[in-house]
Amino acid sequence: MRLQNKVAVITGGAQGIGRAIALGMGREGAKVVVADLQGEKAKTVADEVRTLGTDAIAVAVNVASEPSVKRLADQTFECFGRIDILINDAGVYLKSPVVSKSEEEWDRTLDVNLGGNFLCARSFVPAMRTQKSGRIISIASSIAHSGAREFADYAASKAGIIGFVKALARELGPDGITVNAICPGSANTDMPRRHRSEEETMARLRATPLGHVLEPEDIAGPILFLASDAAAYITGQAYNINCGTVMI
Amino acid sequence: MSQVALVTGGGNGIGRAVARRLAATGITVIIADYDHAAAEQVRCEIVDAGGTADALSIDVTVARDAKAVVTDVSQRFGPIDILANIAGGSFYTKRIEDFTWTEWKHVIDTNLKGTFLMCREVAPIMQKQKSGRILNTASNYGVTGSALRVPYSAAKAGIISFTKSLAMELAADGIRLNTVAPGPTDTPRVMEKETGEARKQRWYSSIPLGRTGKPEDLAELYYFLTTPESAAITGQTFHCNGGLL
Repeated sequence: MRLQNKVAVITGGAQGIGRAIALGMGREGAKVVVADLQGEKAKTVADEVRTLGTDAIAVAVNVASEPSVKRLADQTFECFGRIDILINDAGVYLKSPVVSKSEEEWDRTLDVNLGGNFLCARSFVPAMRTQKSGRIISIASSIAHSGAREFADYAASKAGIIGFVKALARELGPDGITVNAICPGSANTDMPRRHRSEEETMARLRATPLGHVLEPEDIAGPILFLASDAAAYITGQAYNINCGTVMI
Repeated sequence: MSQVALVTGGGNGIGRAVARRLAATGITVIIADYDHAAAEQVRCEIVDAGGTADALSIDVTVARDAKAVVTDVSQRFGPIDILANIAGGSFYTKRIEDFTWTEWKHVIDTNLKGTFLMCREVAPIMQKQKSGRILNTASNYGVTGSALRVPYSAAKAGIISFTKSLAMELAADGIRLNTVAPGPTDTPRVMEKETGEARKQRWYSSIPLGRTGKPEDLAELYYFLTTPESAAITGQTFHCNGGLL
């Protein structure tokens, strides 16, 4: 097991990619904090993680609220005493053309998707600095590179994550903390289904060069690698996982 | 049955670490290197550690060498599952006007043409099997460029784009290609030219993680890209440089 006794916090851990990461971390022996706006769903995932034979707790969190993120950090330290791995996966995906996008919608996307990275880093980095070790992995998107019609706020927030990660990697490298991003393509989760029919969603998911439908587990695997000792020399990167749909 | 990996440039540095890493997981590794004695040495290290390996001589710039090695390996060990193209080098550091055509060809051919020749021989085998992984080796210089290493930077940039193009060509056959781009790495070849102290002076302040890379750091990334955990990854470039870039 590659992550024995490490403590991992996964925001957005209640479903989709975040859930696959939480379960993957649990399988590798990590103690898992499943943090999500949907507290009840987070509890279910924490239960699932515990059946793998490791510890897990669920915390309801709004990553765009500083007091809420502070409570997440407090509960993490109270239960497990440390933080080794922070996975920033919480995000929203709202569709509307730029000209009719409300300021509220814009703020929500940027505050959750990008601001959440900032607030979580601020709450967890001091402990990582003290330990002189840590892994931060943020979930960006291939849309950061390709853009997407009617998702300008989402594309901007995800590209922002890449810039944030590169800057933070430079800031935290001297303390032995690595910071990386993953840019998944469209994955077989609820998210793409929010704005498309089931048929259209599956057709799009299948239309990749590898002809492989991107599953949450395909994204969790590389994250486990980045969280492990094997990736000690990798920082400031944004690795693409998209079955070959975007190559940049 | 054990998987079969062919590692060019496997006799030294990053290639050696990759050969050893793959062999440690039970993969049969064929080390192909210009320096036969070095390849043989790595073969012995792997066999002594309980692994399976063979050593072959190759000049990756020569088409008939590439063909002969791939034919020999497939006949004796079965279809190649993993090709790691690591043979390469910058060889010279000098101003463009001082580069001869022969030197230019040496650098471009060893890095870029060698990658092409090996892929051309191995791709049909993988296509027949409907699976395979090819790992090519670039450099941070392939993205940033490097003064006094013009041919090397051009060759490495070429490898990144070559890999994307071939990844598109072979994706439908279930073959994945990716590029690993090492940063400054402490290989014997580099350490011969520069003392540890000089390297510290040159690099440490610009590398956020505060050290140059070890061949073993890179080997982990190559190995990851051969595993099912990377099943959805193709056509990508993986920098491993301590945050330099």
